[in-house]
Amino acid sequence: MYLKLPNKIIDSLRRMLPAFIVATIVTFMIGIYYAILNSPPDYLQGDSMRIMYVHVPAAWLALSSYSFLALSCIAWFIFRNPIFNLFAKSIAPIGATFTLIALVTGSIWGKPTWGTWWAWDARLTSMLILFFLYIAYIMTWQTITNKDLAAKISAALGIIGFINIPIIKFSVDWWNTLHQPATISKLSAPSIHISMLTPLMLMTCAYVLFLITLFLIRYKIEILDQKILRVSS
Amino acid sequence: MPFYNLIIRDLKLAFFSSTNFLFAASFLILILILVPFVFGTNVGSFSILFTGFIWISIALSILLTLDRVFNSDYEDGNLDTIILTQQSLELIVCSKFISHWIANCIPIIIVIPIAGLLFEVGIQDILNIILNVLLGSPGMVFIGSAISALTLGSKRAGIYKTIIIVPLYIPFIIFGSNQESGLVLLGLSMTAFVFSLFTSIYSLRLYAE
Repeated sequence: MYLKLPNKIIDSLRRMLPAFIVATIVTFMIGIYYAILNSPPDYLQGDSMRIMYVHVPAAWLALSSYSFLALSCIAWFIFRNPIFNLFAKSIAPIGATFTLIALVTGSIWGKPTWGTWWAWDARLTSMLILFFLYIAYIMTWQTITNKDLAAKISAALGIIGFINIPIIKFSVDWWNTLHQPATISKLSAPSIHISMLTPLMLMTCAYVLFLITLFLIRYKIEILDQKILRVSS
Repeated sequence: MPFYNLIIRDLKLAFFSSTNFLFAASFLILILILVPFVFGTNVGSFSILFTGFIWISIALSILLTLDRVFNSDYEDGNLDTIILTQQSLELIVCSKFISHWIANCIPIIIVIPIAGLLFEVGIQDILNIILNVLLGSPGMVFIGSAISALTLGSKRAGIYKTIIIVPLYIPFIIFGSNQESGLVLLGLSMTAFVFSLFTSIYSLRLYAE
């Protein structure tokens, strides 16, 4: 496994990281202020809906990190540059954590509104399966000791999971659904009021910045790991 | 005809070498034996659950016997010999799929009517279940074999393989336990065949190097 330009990348990462960390903290503070203090409670659910500002961005990012993972696996198959594998390897634990956050906050939110911690509903089930796809990807790197082989196999696994997600989504939707349909997918007229949309968007920005910061840190670690491997072997 | 020879060899291994052949069928019966202890002896009331038990036992019996497809050959070196015969990898993989399906799913299909009698399931329902199993179980075998080919190199593959495979089985189990979705199952099996063929060949190339 060889790497082009790792020193240059590490240097630029070292310069970029503090800015991202500060931006993450500031956006989180503004977002949490809006979410907790400066937004109206829901007329039906009261204050319990405020957990939406934590739950929804986590769910969005969980899905988009898997897309990123799968796209970098595909890019690895096309270009065969190990950098793409390191992209996928660095995003996997972060995506798994976001999935877990979405699941846990979702079930905390579900208790007051649906009256149950967990329902075998389409979206919940497919999120749970997404979590296991992440776990499978992470386990590949741990159970297969030959790093070269692990890179090839994990790339194939990421793509298999990516193909499988729409199939699972479709079959599970057909099986059972309870979750509300997506509210903000239609950009022209969101069916959420602007006073709630502002904190939601702020929190989403904070989450994205947080994701990027974590990703940069993990990516730096992976590159250093590779360098250690190359030196020691 | 190396293709048929390979199938016959695998079937002989499955049927004669140990008690493997009886495994799948007796596994189904054993799971069904546990059911009355859990839900009580009023058998007629849970004949609705019968389809579910059939599919769960099929999934488990395929998962538990996956080591036979590629792993045992990989460990004793036969896989290298088979690949060295210059037979096309597609045919090798297909013969593995076919022999594993025959050794695992045919015994289950034979036992299903008997198990249905134990649970007072009607003839029409049993025929529907058998049709669904005929259409759906090949896809499950394909996926399982492909993933076990992909994970040949890992040391402790058991739980790891299960975590990958079980999410891939969910669509089959959802559509399998519905009696009118035979065509969807057929489509799923065909899709699974294409992807499993690609995945198995890719991973066999990796390990044959």
